[in-house]
Amino acid sequence: MLHNITLIPHLVRMYVRTRMEYRGAMFLAWLSQGFSYGAMYATIALIIARFDNLGGWQWPDMALLLAFHLLAYSLGASLSFTQFRDIEEKVRLGTFDAILVKPVGPWTFLVFSGLNIGYGGHVILATGLMAWSLTQVGLAWSPLLVLYFVAALISAAMLTAALMTMIGTTALVWVRSRHLFSIFFGFWELARYPLNIFPAPLQMLMITLAPLAFLAFVPVAVILGKPVPLLGAWAPLASLAAGPLCMLLAVFHWRWCLRNYQGAGG
Amino acid sequence: MRAGAYPAFALTAFQSRLAYRNQVWASAFGELVISFAFIAIWTAAFAGQVVVDGATLPEMITYVMIAGLLYWNTDRLINDVGEAVRTGDITIFLLKPLSYPASLLATHFGHYVFDQLVVTLPVLLIVGFSVGLLPPASLFHALMALPFWALSWLMLFTLGALCGLLAFWLLTAFALEWFLKGIMALASGAIVPLWFMPGWLSGILGYLPFAWVSYYPTAIYLGKLDPPATFLYFGIGLAWLAALGGFLAWLWSRARHRLIVQGG
Repeated sequence: MLHNITLIPHLVRMYVRTRMEYRGAMFLAWLSQGFSYGAMYATIALIIARFDNLGGWQWPDMALLLAFHLLAYSLGASLSFTQFRDIEEKVRLGTFDAILVKPVGPWTFLVFSGLNIGYGGHVILATGLMAWSLTQVGLAWSPLLVLYFVAALISAAMLTAALMTMIGTTALVWVRSRHLFSIFFGFWELARYPLNIFPAPLQMLMITLAPLAFLAFVPVAVILGKPVPLLGAWAPLASLAAGPLCMLLAVFHWRWCLRNYQGAGG
Repeated sequence: MRAGAYPAFALTAFQSRLAYRNQVWASAFGELVISFAFIAIWTAAFAGQVVVDGATLPEMITYVMIAGLLYWNTDRLINDVGEAVRTGDITIFLLKPLSYPASLLATHFGHYVFDQLVVTLPVLLIVGFSVGLLPPASLFHALMALPFWALSWLMLFTLGALCGLLAFWLLTAFALEWFLKGIMALASGAIVPLWFMPGWLSGILGYLPFAWVSYYPTAIYLGKLDPPATFLYFGIGLAWLAALGGFLAWLWSRARHRLIVQGG
């Protein structure tokens, strides 16, 4: 365990150095992704500008929701998305076997040897938008609220990482799992909007089987003091528990898949 | 190479997609979820109002569905060009007696037909039967929507191919793909139609080529333009397509002379 932890800085340093060899491409990617998300948010701002609100959410509230969504996603995805999306390719080519025989835990190696610093554009845009929206929504800050804000953000990032880990790891037994990310991103897109605008079955789905309501809507609604459908007074506790619980589930799933991994055949 | 050989690229692309059945149902499910999300968003935005800026809620639901059908994902096209440049596979195309842009057009037409038949059409049917979609405003608008659809596809292909070819200079297609995605989200009208935008913005975007991808074809279908305006905008769209097509041909002529294959 300690051995794995001491290796993490080395793995991260190696990966960052390889990425920094192509720093022009990396900064261009940050810029393009920031621009793309900015344009998408501009369309949402246009809808709200024309219709005044979306399900009772004004633009500053929506800006906080979008910023929280993007920041939590990018923090979680930097530890999971590309790493677990590409696991399918590693299984197919047999290179995953090489990871299993390395003198380091396979999860540690996978996650930290590919720690994605490509989310810089996401983080810059999200923190900028969050800073602006927090000045507009008029929150009554207290130590408890600050603590909840930070804890909910960490929980939401853990939720993202856990879901992506589970999806990607499925390739160890199914050989293919990349298609499941299409479903994830379908719900991920929904998670940008207030949950109360969706029909009840979809709300239920986003709180249970595809729990992406906890990525942004539930914590931001709690912070803003807005009602949370289905959860009500349980929303603060549920939003804090969602990330760790999903992470625990991901740990079990990862171990089960590893035990049942047989390669792609041949 | 004779022009008759290009349909083989389209057919191969179509058949290659059949091999990944899991990808098909996952994409269709993802598309269905997003479609219902957009319907919910517009329903919430209208919040009981019957008409806003001359558009009703059923019109907006039809608008987002048709606009979604027209706006196909150009990531595959841009990635194909980017990967061919990055790996050096582009040299194989240069050795063949074919036009690379034309082979891309045929290949991605095959992908488009596959996506429409297997992913978009089932989603449209489900939404049509469960929520309801409006028919074309008139026979004239129905007939004119077809050439606008073709124009939309060619316009988006040309824009995607132009972005892809820039990878010859930048040696990466990733950023180009995201830039185009951002521009299209705002300027194509696929998410928010131009009639809901401030006058100054719709005035600018209404004359840029991106609006011919989603906004004009859907507006024609819904009868938002009268016949003289329909022909006028079709003409402007053709002029844009000719200009962008010419630029693509010029860019390709430049790109193939500055090809760098690493380690060759």
